[in-house]
Amino acid sequence: MTPGRLAYIALNAAILIFILAPIAIIFVFAVNPVPYIDFPPSGFTWDWFVQFFTSDIFMRSLWLSLRVAAIVTLLAVFFGATASLAIARGNLPGARTITAFVLSPLMLPAILTGLALFQAYMFLDIGRPLWGLVMGHVLVTTPYVVRTTLAVLHNFDTRLEEAATNLGAGPVRVYFEVTLPLIKPGVIAGGIFAFIVSFDQFPVSLFLIGPGNETLPITLFNYLKFEMDGRIAAASVVSILISLVVVIGIDRTVGLRSYGKM
Amino acid sequence: MSEAATAPAALTSDDAAPRRTGPNALAWLILPIALLFALFFVLPISLMLLMSVLTGNPMFEQGVRFTPENYIRFASDSYNWEVLWITIRIGLSTTLAALLLGYPLAHLMARVHSRTGHALLLIAVLAPMLTGIVVRTFAWMAILSDTGVVNATLMRFGLIDRPLPLLNSETGIVIGLTHIYIPYMVLTLNGVISRIDERLEQAATNLGAHPLRAFWEVTLPLSVPGILAGSLLVFALSISAYVTPLLMGGFQFMTLPLLIYQQISASFNIGFAAALGIILLVISLALVIGYNRVLGLLSGDRDLT
Repeated sequence: MTPGRLAYIALNAAILIFILAPIAIIFVFAVNPVPYIDFPPSGFTWDWFVQFFTSDIFMRSLWLSLRVAAIVTLLAVFFGATASLAIARGNLPGARTITAFVLSPLMLPAILTGLALFQAYMFLDIGRPLWGLVMGHVLVTTPYVVRTTLAVLHNFDTRLEEAATNLGAGPVRVYFEVTLPLIKPGVIAGGIFAFIVSFDQFPVSLFLIGPGNETLPITLFNYLKFEMDGRIAAASVVSILISLVVVIGIDRTVGLRSYGKM
Repeated sequence: MSEAATAPAALTSDDAAPRRTGPNALAWLILPIALLFALFFVLPISLMLLMSVLTGNPMFEQGVRFTPENYIRFASDSYNWEVLWITIRIGLSTTLAALLLGYPLAHLMARVHSRTGHALLLIAVLAPMLTGIVVRTFAWMAILSDTGVVNATLMRFGLIDRPLPLLNSETGIVIGLTHIYIPYMVLTLNGVISRIDERLEQAATNLGAHPLRAFWEVTLPLSVPGILAGSLLVFALSISAYVTPLLMGGFQFMTLPLLIYQQISASFNIGFAAALGIILLVISLALVIGYNRVLGLLSGDRDLT
């Protein structure tokens, strides 16, 4: 190996450490017994996890985040899958413009989406109900479902549907027996992204959470403003593990590569 | 470069479906999302624009009229310009850092030949994206605080006597933001670099050029659109960050998103917050349109934006 090649590998290894080490560090602090940030760790304890799981505030927000993410996922899948079918198979004029528009919440800073919804709810005197927060999350997660489902729809051959039609299947039967099974991986992958994005969502929630309706990222943030102990690390580990379980789900269904390609 | 290659980020370019007839029955399925976007995207942004030029909320107040007051207030107070400058300065530093760290990794991803190698690198780049920004900011607070990983290690080896002020500084903000937005840079750059034919580089080295010179004169110039697009995206994202500038800056650095939140929570000045939101929206829109233009020109889809 030439020295240049070696430097290239070393540089990339260092960059990968920069990207991955912070996540590993959280696991270290979650089991470090001292109640403040101290390095290297001086022992091992599960205590912070016990404190996290017995804390009313953390449990209430964890439970709310899980429920919100579940409802958001269902709605995002509905809006995203129907829109993708219309865009890819509906022969709509301006399909490309529609796609760009539907994906635009991904490109705009999410904090603006949250702020605009907050302004609208204020203007219309709706206040800050839970459904308002859910719809904010739906808006920023639906594009993920559109993206993954469209990718699948563009990849498979319309001749499969045409063949089914030529063999005498009606449009409803073609839809349920050919189209739907084919787009399922895309829809599921999009749904999983929707779940994670909603579960970890901060900027949209910031303006939309009502009193007593805190999601986990908001609770973590408010806690971090004043304190930084093992409980916050334990909470972080739990939220990473929940996302991880969900990601393994993605890999089982369609593989992560499909996301990187888009 | 392949004309049919898809743009790396948001836009799929496969739109060549034959249009023999008009919209069919499936076209009706566009209605749910049309309703969603009308009610929860177009309407709120329009209302925010409206609130920014009104003296109050016409739903409850009498005699509300149009006024440019909120925008004049922004422009006439030098404090706001300072906030804007801090926001842009942090955005520029973050963009530069993300570019310098993201380029080598994107290059490696584009040039690695094994599928497993590519998949592992992709997982490494995406892993932080699947961790919430609050959690990642906490990780950097733990690394950079006075008793954190970096300072504790340096002091243990006697390299410094007292902790470096890494947390509660602009450097800390930039480090945290770079970590959060580097995946966007890597994915955008990777999309462009992987389209550059590797044989161009090989031809240059075969003709006697040093690999570094081949990179400098062949690959780098060809990846300029990726550099431009990735930088626009990371800049747009980092100027709208809230969590990291607040927590890593130790409440000392006021950026535009922080000012917006303060106007709502502390001053309850909805109209001024709306005007600030519109200012941030206009800046972001310009950057995102630029991003799409650059990538659109690259893949030959001139009508994307």
